[in-house]
Amino acid sequence: MKWTGLLTASILAFCAAGAATAEEEKVLYFFNWTDYYPPELLTKFETETGIKVIQDGYDSNETLIAKLQAGGANYDVIVPTDYVLAGMIKDGLLQPINAAEMENFQYVKPAFKDPEFDPGRVYTAPYTWGVTGIAYDSGQVTGGELDQSWSVFFEPPAELEGKIAALDIGSEVILAAAIYLGVPQCTESNEDAAKIYDLLAAQKPKLKMYSADSTVDRMASGEVAMHQLWSGATARAQAQRSTIKFIYPKEGTPMFRDNFAMPTGAPHPENAKIFINWMMAPENAAAVTNAIAYANSIESGEFLDDKWKSSEAVNMPAEYGDRLVPTEVCSPAAQELRDKIWTRLKG
Amino acid sequence: MNLRRLPFTREISLGVLVYLYVPVMVLIFYSFNANRTATVWSEASLDWYRKILVNPSIRDATWNSLVLATAAGLGSTLLALAAALGTKNRFRGLAVVEAILNAPLILPEVVVAVATLMLFVAIGIDMGLTAMIPAHIAFCIPFAYLPIRARLEGMNPSLEEAAQDLYANRFVTFRRVTLPLMWPGIMAGFTLAFVTSLDDFLTSFFLSGPGSTTLPVYIFSAIRAGITPEINAISTIMLIVSVALVVTSFLLGKIRR
Repeated sequence: MKWTGLLTASILAFCAAGAATAEEEKVLYFFNWTDYYPPELLTKFETETGIKVIQDGYDSNETLIAKLQAGGANYDVIVPTDYVLAGMIKDGLLQPINAAEMENFQYVKPAFKDPEFDPGRVYTAPYTWGVTGIAYDSGQVTGGELDQSWSVFFEPPAELEGKIAALDIGSEVILAAAIYLGVPQCTESNEDAAKIYDLLAAQKPKLKMYSADSTVDRMASGEVAMHQLWSGATARAQAQRSTIKFIYPKEGTPMFRDNFAMPTGAPHPENAKIFINWMMAPENAAAVTNAIAYANSIESGEFLDDKWKSSEAVNMPAEYGDRLVPTEVCSPAAQELRDKIWTRLKG
Repeated sequence: MNLRRLPFTREISLGVLVYLYVPVMVLIFYSFNANRTATVWSEASLDWYRKILVNPSIRDATWNSLVLATAAGLGSTLLALAAALGTKNRFRGLAVVEAILNAPLILPEVVVAVATLMLFVAIGIDMGLTAMIPAHIAFCIPFAYLPIRARLEGMNPSLEEAAQDLYANRFVTFRRVTLPLMWPGIMAGFTLAFVTSLDDFLTSFFLSGPGSTTLPVYIFSAIRAGITPEINAISTIMLIVSVALVVTSFLLGKIRR
C-alpha cells in the first residue's frame, strides 16, 4: 500500500506545483553582457524577493539578437543597447513592460525618461550608460589641462605625439572623426569620407597604437598619455592613477545607453517586471555603478562611493548633457564606406 | 634522391611543433601572471585561480560542462557499444552503416548545429541542457565508436566460441567474456566522447538556453571585455583535464589482458 501512498503524495505535490506556476515560478532567466552585473546584487535581489535569478552572458548585441531570432531560448530579461532597439521592437522581439508606469520610474534621470529609440519607455527601462571620450593623464601635459575638444586628440600638441592610443574599432574612430569634422555620422558621400580619411591618415603617425584591449592598464600604467576611451574604463583607470582626466568633447560625445527589456515569449513576465522595477531603485542602481564603474541612469548620487562621485567620467557634470550624441545605425552604403576608410587606414 | 630521408623533415617538424605548442605554453605561463593585462608579465601569482574559484558564473559554467560531458559521454558510449556489437559481423550495407555512424566526423559542425537548432525550434523543444544533451550525444558517437570497434576487431572470436562450447548462454558469454575484453575500449571511447563534448563550443553556443552556459561558451562571451589572466587560468584547467582524460583513454586502450 506504500506505493499508492507515494503516488497520491506525488499527485498532490504535482497539483500544488501546478497551483504555484499559476502565479509564476520564483525564477528569472537573465541574459546579460558577461561580467556586466555585480553577483552580490543578484544575491540581494534573491533575498528580498525570493526570486532565483539564473544569469547567462553574451558578448555582443548581435549575439543576443541572433539568439532571440533563432527562437527556443526563453529569457525573461535582456540588456540591449540603444541602437539595436528600434529594430528589435519593429521585428516583434520585445513585449511591452510599460516601465513608465512602474513605481520606481520616478527616480529615472530626466534625460533617460523618454528616449528616441523607445518613446514613452514602453518596451525598455534604463540600465547603465557611458560615452566614448578622451582620457588623458594631466601629469604628462604641460599646464595639466586640455581643451574639451576632439582637436586635442586628432591634432594633438607636439608634446603628446607618439603617446596617444586610439580605439582599434573602426566605428568608434570614424564616428569621432565625423563628429569633429561636422559631417553626418552615417555619411554616404565620398567627399565626406575622403575628409574623414585625410584627418585619420594625418593623425596616424602621431599615434602610438590602435588598441581596444587592456585599455585600463595602458592608462593606469602611464604607458600612453592620452587614449580615446570609454567613460567606464577611464573611471577604472582613475581609481589606480588619480591624475587621469576625462574629456566630453564639445563637438559631440558619442554615447551608448544599455537597457532592460523583456523578450517576446518570456516564461516569467511578472518576475521580469519585478526585477526591472527593483533595478530602478536608487540604492540598487548605485550598487551597479559602485561595482562595475558604469554610470547608471537613476538619480542615485547619494548612494555612490566617494571615488565615483568625484569622477567626472562616472558622474557627468549636468552641463555636458547637450554634448551627448546617440549612435545611429548606418545604412549598408554608409557602412561600406566606413569599412573602406578603415581598411585603407589600417592597411 | 633517397625518398626515405626527405630534406628538412626535422626542421619542418620542429617548426610545426613550435607553431602548435608555443601558444599553449605561453597561455599557461601567463595564467600565473599577477598583472591584469594577460600579456604583460609582472610577477608570479595564483590570484587568477583563486578568482575563478569564487566567480559564480564560472562555477555554474563548469558544473554545466561536466553534467553535459558526462551525459554525452555515457549516452554516446552506450549507443556506440550497441553499434559496435551490431556491426561485428559482416552484412550487406555495413559500409553505409559505418559511414552514417562516422558522419559527425566529416559533416561541418556548424551546419549540424544550425540544423539541430531549427529542428528543435520547429518541434518546440526549449533551448538548454535538454536540447544540448541529445545533440552532444549525436556528435560524440563516432568518438566513442572508433575505439570500441577497434577493440572488438582485435578480439579473438574463439574466446566467445569457447564460452558457448562450455554451455554459457549468449547473455552469460557477453557479460563474462565479451564485455570484460571490450572494457578498455569502452573506457577509451567514453573518455574521448567526454573530452569532445567538454571542448565543444559551436553546438553548445547554438543550443544553449537559460542557465546552460558551458565553459567554452563562457570563455567566448567573456573575451570581448578584454583577455584577462582569468581566461588563461580557466583555459589551463580545461587543458589539464582534457589532456589527463586523453592520456587515460590512451593508456586504457593499451591494456591487454
